[in-house]
Order: sequence, then C-alpha cells, then structure tokens
Amino acid sequence: MSRILARIATFAILVVAALAIAAPFLWIFRGAFSASDAELYKLPPTFSPGNLTAGNFGKVTDQVPYFRFFVNSLIVSTTITAAQIITCATAAYAFARLKFRGKNVLFAVVIGSLMIPIQVTIVPLFLVMSKLELTNTLWALILPGIFSGFGIFLLRQHFLALPAELEEAARIDGAGHLRTFVRVILPLSGPSIATLGILCFTYWWNDLLLPLVMISDTDRQTLPVGLVLLAGRFSTGSLGTIAAGIAMAIVPVLIVFIAAQRYIVQSIASSGLKL
Amino acid sequence: MNFPIRKIALACAAAVLTVVPTAACSDNKSDASSSGDKSLEIAYWNYGPAAETGNKATADAFMAANPGTKVTLTPVTGENWGTYYANVATLIASGKHPDLMLISGEGAQFVHANNLVLPVNKYLDKDADAKALTGDIAKGLIDGFTVKGDVVTLTNAWNDMVVYYNTALFKKAGIDPPKADWTWADFEATAKKLTKDTNGDGKNDQYGFTWASNEIFPGIMPWVANAGGNLTSDDVCSATADTPQVNKAVSFLENLIKEGVSPAPMPMSDVFTRFQNGQIAMFGAGRWPIATLLPKFKDFDIQLYPKGDTYKTVFGGSGYPILKSSKNPDLAWEYQKFTVSEEIEKQYVGTPDKPGDSIPSRRSISQTISKVGVPPANSDLFYNSIDNYPTLVPYPAPAKYSAFESTVLRHLQLIFAGEKSVSDGLKDMQAELSTIVTC
Amino acid sequence: MTEEVVPPAVRRGAPPKKRKDGLAALGFLSPAIVTFLVFVLAPTLGVLYLSFYDWNLLSDGTFVGLDNFDRLVHDDRLLHVYGSTAYMALVILAVNVVAGLLLAVLLETRMSRWLRGFFRLSFLFPFVVSASAVALIWRFLLNKDLGLVNYVLGLAGLDRIDWLGSSAWAPVSVIVVNSWKTIGFSILVYIAGLQAIPAVLKEAAIVDGANAWTRFWRITFPMLSPTIFFLVVINTINSFQIFAEPRVLTQGGPGDASRTIVEYLYDRAFGDFDLGYASAIGITFMLVLIVLTAIQFRLSRRWTFYE
Repeated sequence: MSRILARIATFAILVVAALAIAAPFLWIFRGAFSASDAELYKLPPTFSPGNLTAGNFGKVTDQVPYFRFFVNSLIVSTTITAAQIITCATAAYAFARLKFRGKNVLFAVVIGSLMIPIQVTIVPLFLVMSKLELTNTLWALILPGIFSGFGIFLLRQHFLALPAELEEAARIDGAGHLRTFVRVILPLSGPSIATLGILCFTYWWNDLLLPLVMISDTDRQTLPVGLVLLAGRFSTGSLGTIAAGIAMAIVPVLIVFIAAQRYIVQSIASSGLKL
Repeated sequence: MNFPIRKIALACAAAVLTVVPTAACSDNKSDASSSGDKSLEIAYWNYGPAAETGNKATADAFMAANPGTKVTLTPVTGENWGTYYANVATLIASGKHPDLMLISGEGAQFVHANNLVLPVNKYLDKDADAKALTGDIAKGLIDGFTVKGDVVTLTNAWNDMVVYYNTALFKKAGIDPPKADWTWADFEATAKKLTKDTNGDGKNDQYGFTWASNEIFPGIMPWVANAGGNLTSDDVCSATADTPQVNKAVSFLENLIKEGVSPAPMPMSDVFTRFQNGQIAMFGAGRWPIATLLPKFKDFDIQLYPKGDTYKTVFGGSGYPILKSSKNPDLAWEYQKFTVSEEIEKQYVGTPDKPGDSIPSRRSISQTISKVGVPPANSDLFYNSIDNYPTLVPYPAPAKYSAFESTVLRHLQLIFAGEKSVSDGLKDMQAELSTIVTC
Repeated sequence: MTEEVVPPAVRRGAPPKKRKDGLAALGFLSPAIVTFLVFVLAPTLGVLYLSFYDWNLLSDGTFVGLDNFDRLVHDDRLLHVYGSTAYMALVILAVNVVAGLLLAVLLETRMSRWLRGFFRLSFLFPFVVSASAVALIWRFLLNKDLGLVNYVLGLAGLDRIDWLGSSAWAPVSVIVVNSWKTIGFSILVYIAGLQAIPAVLKEAAIVDGANAWTRFWRITFPMLSPTIFFLVVINTINSFQIFAEPRVLTQGGPGDASRTIVEYLYDRAFGDFDLGYASAIGITFMLVLIVLTAIQFRLSRRWTFYE
C-alpha cells in the first residue's frame, strides 16, 4: 500500500515539476505561430485558432540570413563539442588514472580556469585572436571553446567512479595506457561523455558574447546574433518573429538531446558495469 | 621524468609576450598602409537587417558616384548603442582604424573627449555645397552635434521624443485628440480617464501612460526638459540632478505610478506590444516604433509632450564623424556629405507598408513623409517640433554616457519602486553623477 | 607493467626511478594544455596585466601600480554587490544540489522509457534556449501590473507583487529564473552519476531487506558523492558568475539589489570603459572563488567517497 502511495507521490512531484519547468515554452511556440503580437500579452490569455499562421517563420528568413547563421552555429557547436570531448577525456584520464608530478597543481589550475569570468577576459582574448589574425572567422568562436575545465572535471569524476579492476585486467593482458583508455574507459563512459556533449553543444549553440565581439561580417554570425538582429534597434522587432526565430533555434538542440539521450540509456544497458 | 613545469612556464611567458604589447595598445606600426589609394573603411552599428541594407546601399551608391573609390564596411553588432561603442572601442584597441564610424548624439562627447574625431568645421567653411546642406538641416541638429565649437558630424537621421496615443481608446473613452499646447494637468486628466479595469476583476488592466524604464531619452528627459531642467549643466561639465526642476518632473511621474495611472515601469520593447493590445493608451518615443506598429496597427497618432513650465523638444540623432586616424579625410568628408544627400535620406521616409524608422535630417525630404502618406496623420510634427520649438541642447550626454545613463536609471528604479523618496533618490543620484560628469 | 610504452629516448633524460607515468600524462594532457595556454592562460594573464593599468581601450594605457586594487577596498557598491551575489548564488546552489538530486532520484524509479524521456526533456528544456528567450518569457510572466503570474495570483485574491522592481523580490526572481534554467543541467549530471552505480549493489541491499531510505543513505549517497561534490563545486562557480538573468530581467536593480559581480565588472569595463578597474575586480573575484573552491575540496575529504 505504502509503495503505491510512494509511486503516486513520485509521479505527482515529477509532473508538477515538468509542467512548471516546460510550460513557459508553450508560450514561445504559440508566439511563433501567432499572427498578432498584440494578442500575446493579453490577459487573461486568449487563444483563437483563426489567428494562427506560419508566416513568422518566413519573416525570420526574410529578415536575416537564417540558414547561413544556422550552418555557422552548427559548425561552431559541433567542432567545439568534438574537440572538447577529445581534450577533456584524455586530460581527465590522465588526472584520474595516471601518476605524475605536479598533478595536483595542474588540476588546481584546471579548476581555477573556471573562475575567471569571460566578460573580463574577452578583451585580451580579442587581442590574442587579432594577433593570430583570426578575428572575424569562425575560428575565433571555436578555439576559445575547446579547452574546458568543466569538462575535464566532469569526466575525471566519472572516471574515478569506474571500478579499477576492469583496467587492471586489461593491463595484465598487456594493454598500454592508450589502449586501456580507448578500449576500456571510453566504452564505459557513454553516459558522462554524452552528458558533456549535450552541455557543451547547448552552451556554445547559445553563446552570444563571443560572436558579438569577434565577428563583424553578417555571413559569419551565429544564431544568437540573429536573434539580436531580429530584435532590432530599441527592440522594435516583432515578438512573433523573434519567437519564431527562437523556436527554430531550439529544434536542432532538441534533436541532439534526443539522440544523446538514447545513447545514455543504451550504453548503460550494454556496458559491463553490471558485472 | 620530471613533469615539464618549467617548459609550461616558458610557454606561458611566450603566450603573455604576444598579448602584452597589444594590450598596451596603440603601436600600429604594422599598419602597412594602403593609403594613397582612394579607400574608406566605415564602422556602423548593425542593429538589424535595415542597418545592413541601408549602409550597403549608401556605400554602393557612393562608389558608383565616385569612380575609383573603394568603400569597406565593418558592421559592428551590438544589442544597443552601448555595446556597439564597446565593440568599436575593442576593434580600435586591436589596431583597426576606420575612417568614419556611426555615432548617436549621445556619443558626440564620447568621441570628442577621446580625441578620436576630426571636426568638420573647416569643410563647412570652405565646401561650396555645405551652405545649401546646412540650410536644409535644422539648427538644433547641428547644435546637438557641436562640442566646444567643434562640429563633430552632420546628422543624417534623427528622432524627437513625442507622445504616441491610441486613437481607438481615445474615441472609446470619448476624449478629444490632444492638442500641441496641452499641459501636464491636461495630460494627467487624460491619462486618468484612460485608466480602466476592463475585465472587471477589481484591478486596473488598462493604463493611461507609461515610459521606457531602460533609457532616459524616451523616459524621463522630456519631462525634465519641460519642467525647465536638465540632468547636466549647459557645458555638460557638471551634474544637475537634484535641482527643483528635475525633482518636479520625477515627482510628476512617480505620482502617476502612485495613483495607478501608470503601471510599474517596463523596458521599451514590452511597451510597444502593450500599446498595440490596448493595455497602454499613451507612451513616449521617437519615430522608431512606427516600423513595429505598421502596417498592422494603424489606430495611433502622435502629439508633442505636454507643456510644463516650458516646452522643449528632446531629440537624438546619428551621423558619421570622420576619425582623426583617417588617411583620406577629404574623401571621408565627401562620404559624410553623401550620407545627408537626397538620394540617401529618401530611404528614411519609407512607404506606408514599410516605413522608415527615423526622421531624415533634411527638412525638404522630411516633409515628404506626410505626402507619401506614411502614418501617423500628424507626421509633419516630427520636423516642426525641432524647427518651431526650443530644443534641449546640449544633450545631457557627457563623455561617459553609458555610466551616466545607467547611474540615472539605477536611482530612478528605487524612486519608482517607492523605496526612496524623490528628493533622497535625486540627492544620491547627484552625488554619484558628480564623479561621472566632469570635464 | 607499463614499461613497454616508454621509448628509450626518454629514459636518457630522467632517472627511471621518478618516471612513473610522466610521458603518458604529457601525451594525454597535451591537447588540453595547448588550448589552455593560448586561449585561457594568455587572456587571463592579460587581465592580470591590465589590472595594473588605467586603460579605456582607446588611448594608451598608463601604469598605475596598485591603484585599481586600492579603489576596490573603497568601493561601497562593490561590497554591496558581493552581498547580493552571494545571497542569490547560495540559494541557487542549494536548489540545484538538493532539488536536482530529488528530481533525478525520482526520475530513476521504475517507469516506462517513453515517460522517462518526456520528463528528462521537460527538465532540460530551459537549458537549451538562449538568454533572449528567457527574457521574453519571464518579462511577460513577472511584469507587475500586466503580467501573467500576478494575474493568476489576483484570481486567488492576492495583491500584485513587484517581482522585478522591488528590492525584496527582484533577487528572488533572479533566483527563480536562474534555477529554472540550470536545474536541468544538475539533473542530467545526477542521472549520469546514478547510472554509474552498479545495480548489483542495490539488488544486494534489497535482498538484505533495506528500505528505500536506508538504501539511499547507505548506497546511493556514498556512491553518488563524487557527483554531488562535482555539482556543488560547479554550481558554486556558475551561480556566483550569473550575468544574463539580472541583466535582462532587472538590470541589476532596483539599485543594486539583484546585481551580480560579473554584471558589475562588465559595466565597469564596457559602460565606463574602465578596463583596469574591471580587471582588478575580475582578478580578486577569481581569488575569492578559488578560496571558496579550495575550502570545498578540503571539506569534501570528509564526505566524498571514491571507490
């Protein structure tokens, strides 16, 4: 009996939380399909199906080179994500499993790198990029994202939690570090690598600060800048158009998330963790 | 094997060395200048599609009209004028030197105080075309961009602050459209009549008036000006925020909130939408909301701000000053002149379906707005307000404008939230501004 | 055991006794080190350098020694902003670590895959949208006189609350909106941690007759402690560095009630063009965070369990 009550309570909490967290987005999607900006702010909220339109999406692509932005964002986010997974996983392995001098100091530096806000390093970073003659290129958006103290920390924590016996078995079989890493550690780290991938991809997909400063040519801008352009001077842009732009920007991230989430589930089922 | 801490240290040092010389900035010896040729580089604020197409059109037309010249555009993205200036400054710090850069009126003191700009006085004196041009540009627009006798730039486009009102709501409430000589008392009475509880839940949901919480020009400045005050002295060298005039203006607005005639202040973007759905009956802004309202929403017209102890038109403008670092200042002047030519300024007029978002600086062109039939009906008011009425000159826009504006807004938040009295709030504002507004 | 990976060339340089995994470590770390040096360390040292200068981006900088740091000490606003930042950051941290764990644990109870996916997606939704969407949504919800939340409260007969404009509520709004945005991230990290716990342990406990509560404290919590520790550290760092929410919702106000350090230094840098002072704030802020984190690492030894 109490088990049933517990299950009901569990679901009640989950449903309320899910609604509270996700419901505000219904408003964005509604705005994206709304023919009238004025209706969006009405109280009590009104909804007339006759006022639905797909026209806002057309306005987005009319006003800004949306697909160009989309491709740029995709290039930047995927490249950073791929590069970050490599640099973070290798570094995390070293911190979790290797013995070397200065490990603690280096790890402290990794953690310390999280603590200086980008808002203050942006000017020196711009000067570095300008020295490298990379400003106004996508490299200026990609390169600063590759190192991630967060990612190293995240993966290190997960590697530490993996049972050491598995690796020892591999070592006894004569595998070197690289083989142990690739053959034993990586296959067991699906969930945490997928987590890092999702977090990294979404973060850079939404980043506004770097492109605003680094990029001037419209052809090399990314989606968040596109949203700023849609908002326009003194925020005179149409709410419906902006909402449509936001909705179009969410979709790819959702696809990445859904794909990665399946991977999280599967990798657990097939991993050797259950022994 | 030792872990190569020393090597890392060396690599760090090398990395620092690449940063440090640039951080100290301004050694642009590497500027293998391509001068001698007729090329110009122009930085502008890319606030949206209109900015880019407009500037491209201008550059293309200029190159067509002046064969052999090459114009390079550097769009600089920013969410507002403030981030635009910050990003241009970052570009300049990295050794880039545009020949011209777009600025707003608030930026005139900023570029002048930082010694960036080449005043155009000498061109105005000797250029034969200049007389005809300046004669067609309202004096206020020239004065607005004059700092210590230096004309920073000709203005290409501008906006004055007017009151937008919802004509349908006026009709529904049985109120006559406001006249140009209305007073603060008339205004308050009108706003009160327009404040209503439309859904009958016992609380107001339609408000007479509101103003932008995030900017001072479409916010408090018209009220301060019409109370006969300003936030800075005439030489923009000291702050005057705690004068009786400013107090009167702020008290008037605070009272509107207290009486429930104005809602809690919100940023401008929210105001536009709420004006269209009838939640707000009146608000203040330049010409830029028209591009948002049209073509769907036509039930509006404009009027001057109501008269307090005096009336002064509050306005802002933009222009393309020539930077001192320009290698082709004469050509740059030709470009600046071109930005105020008929050919270019025509695009600010627009059509009823696709209206322009600012007012042309040339009187003759501005007068075509109502001829083309771009709403609102009272569009002639835009230029008349600067020709026929006194203006708030100079701008209360010291060199550190961003700091100045954010300080003013920060103290106003506390006053309008009812957490500080008007006089205490203004006293604190004045104390802080006195370190920001200096010469 | 690992002898064979060491090429003879390296042996020459260093005595083999100290070698351990040094070369392998260098290999594994080098991609991170290279990008770190150029794109993290160099700009950070640039900031340190600038903190000794008076520089407005446009003119030559002048060396001013420790003047910027002296100004810090006398900046009353800064102290106040530290206070409001700490208040908002600590609440956000608590919400993420505690509520995030609760929701993650509930999510891992038995349910259909479809349902689990739906919940996960809902929780992560806010995390995937940009700050401009956050601003758009919440300014509509939280507007005092014309917002949806107060409208609903009004139906229940309650007074309107000045969510964004009053000193008492503005920080609460920032806390709510930031927690709303970040909790999906914490849940996701928790889930990855929960799934790494070998099911065999739980099954053994069930066989032993331990109830859910005991199982959580005896097995889940210790096994999850590295993840919890990770989230405490990361959420502390992130929540102390909030920038976008106060900026778009409250402009840090009223007054400085909802202002954060990062927003404050951004205004100094790009509003006042006072790069030197902003850098000094940034450097000292970094030191504060380092001390906070060092304390967390020290304390973690008492409760974090590594296998």
